[in-house]
Amino acid sequence: MKIENLNAMPAPTWSWLKMNSTSLEIDPELAPAGAAAVEVEGADACRGNDGDFEAALKLADSRFPARRAAAPGDASDRERVDAGNLDQLDVPALSTYQTQAVHLEEKCGPAESFSHGCGSETANYLRSVAQMPVVLKLAPYQKECVTVRINGVDGAISAADIQVIAGEHAELDFIVALDSPVIGTGLVGSLLSVVAAEQARVNVTCVQTLDDSWTALDASGFFLDEGARVHVQHTVLGAGKSVTGLASELWGDTSKISVDTDYLAARDQSRDFNYSIRQLGRKTESNMDANGVLTGASKKVLRGTIDLVHGCRGSEGTERESVLLANKGVDNKTVPVILCDEDDVAGNHGATIGHVRDEQLFYMACRGISAEEAEQLFITAKLENAAITAPDERIRAGIVRLGNKLVSNFEEEIA
Amino acid sequence: MPDTALLHVENLTASVEEKTILHQVNLDVPAGETHVLMGPNGAGKSTLGHLVMGDPVYTVNDGRIFFDGEDVTDLTTDKRSRAGLFLSFQAPVEIPGVPLSSFLRASIAGRPGLEMKGKEFRRRVKELAAELDMDTAYLNRELGVGFSGGEKKKVEMLQLLLLQPKLAILDETDSGLDVDALSVVSRGMDAYRKSCNGSMLIITHNTRILEHLSVDRVHVMVKGHVVRTDDASLIPWIDENGFESFEREAANAAANAQ
Repeated sequence: MKIENLNAMPAPTWSWLKMNSTSLEIDPELAPAGAAAVEVEGADACRGNDGDFEAALKLADSRFPARRAAAPGDASDRERVDAGNLDQLDVPALSTYQTQAVHLEEKCGPAESFSHGCGSETANYLRSVAQMPVVLKLAPYQKECVTVRINGVDGAISAADIQVIAGEHAELDFIVALDSPVIGTGLVGSLLSVVAAEQARVNVTCVQTLDDSWTALDASGFFLDEGARVHVQHTVLGAGKSVTGLASELWGDTSKISVDTDYLAARDQSRDFNYSIRQLGRKTESNMDANGVLTGASKKVLRGTIDLVHGCRGSEGTERESVLLANKGVDNKTVPVILCDEDDVAGNHGATIGHVRDEQLFYMACRGISAEEAEQLFITAKLENAAITAPDERIRAGIVRLGNKLVSNFEEEIA
Repeated sequence: MPDTALLHVENLTASVEEKTILHQVNLDVPAGETHVLMGPNGAGKSTLGHLVMGDPVYTVNDGRIFFDGEDVTDLTTDKRSRAGLFLSFQAPVEIPGVPLSSFLRASIAGRPGLEMKGKEFRRRVKELAAELDMDTAYLNRELGVGFSGGEKKKVEMLQLLLLQPKLAILDETDSGLDVDALSVVSRGMDAYRKSCNGSMLIITHNTRILEHLSVDRVHVMVKGHVVRTDDASLIPWIDENGFESFEREAANAAANAQ
């Protein structure tokens, strides 16, 4: 089967750039691995029930009804057109994206607009293969550390549907590990859905260490209530093809999200990222920071969209990417997008994309490091840094396994 | 070439973007000696250092470079480094994404006698960092990123002590340093000489860094020519009189040649 229109950016750009979305071919022979592929640690005190997440979003709906101040092309205009008080031609024509955006703002509360960045078809697919969701429900002021490991099973689809409800002032450190401890092929996927209630703190660390014969599909969605804080760390180190989607909606005033992404692509690996953050509440903040290394003949697309929605006065959104192209054969695409329908906001974006400069190569050569060794150095440095900051020993072991395939004594070097 | 010379530069003429910047330069540095290359700004001192190291920015139009008995003129820079040549940079580059420790490990990899296992490597690097009054936290930071000028020069010294090259060309290592950093650099140079009887070619245009060093020979460059080679007594003379007379002589020689 093939999933089309995966990781589609909210406001598409020119189709000929071939970066609006991606697709994913999934071997129809692969069968769901079931619960055996998923390990949950530290969740005894916060197990929730199927349906809790939907109930939490429904509650959010009651707190944040669909809203929209008057703007050209909005409901008020269309009501006047319908009543015959305004000519159709006096209403601004809207693009497909604008029509959807207006619909989202006018008609949709948090529950309906909630998404995962990868698209609804992919989310439904992951839900279906994951079978039973892992539901974590933190009571107000509860503090927990939970780890979910999704281990590749040869010839199967290993996936988890994780739903998190962090109550008011709750604090959750949540780790997701996508790994392939056994030799084989298959797909490893994660669908993470998070409701962060008022003043809740949620830290998500997702580390992907799959070998080249595996495909990674990782999607996450966040709803942030007033004053909620979410930090997401994506570390994408392996997999022949990896697709990472993230969507976040900052409905509550003063809510904040920061997303840090570290990625590495070598050989003929491909990386596809789609980050979409909608800021609806006042004085909200978002920050996306990606840092990557591309080597060999690898490919990467990163779409980052910050949508400063009408009414989000005093909000600020920033996205940055720094990518090092360590080989002329790499294919790197970056699309930073700031959408803005509010005056009193700040949106910043920047990308630093660079090949290794001649003076850097000369400096390294002066220390006996050839151009080929320099390329290798950029890869091992990324892995080494990930190993040093790995949240636990098993994740570190996954990173070391990837490193050992590149450097004979990687483990010993970083011991 | 002379039997004793570790570095022997013979009639080296070089250019960049078709402009000749070195003219028939001859220079010898015997093993175990400390030589100083002095001259006003723009004399070609750094260019000579880079040419000896094989910087591809420059084109060798004529002449040869011999190192440790081998003709290295056509050798790539990384191979010259592995043959025992070292160039300390006036302005060391930054390499984002690569921690200093990873860079150091890559620089010693495959070098006979220098390659070390993980723990031994870390012990050795920490030892050298302490010798240079360098915070070991820098080892986990990206190479050069956010380092002060003084810290960058310390990193250069750290590499010098770790790699123990046969010949170290130190290009304006003293520039922009305060008194404390200068003393650390001097200490590094001294430690290098003592640890492996290393040879040095120190490129500088001020004499302060040389106060605590035993210098064997001084070469003066002006406008791409080596115009004088003498013993260490030339240093206080230059300190007193500057390079004006050398520049005048060079101008006269050029006028006569025309």
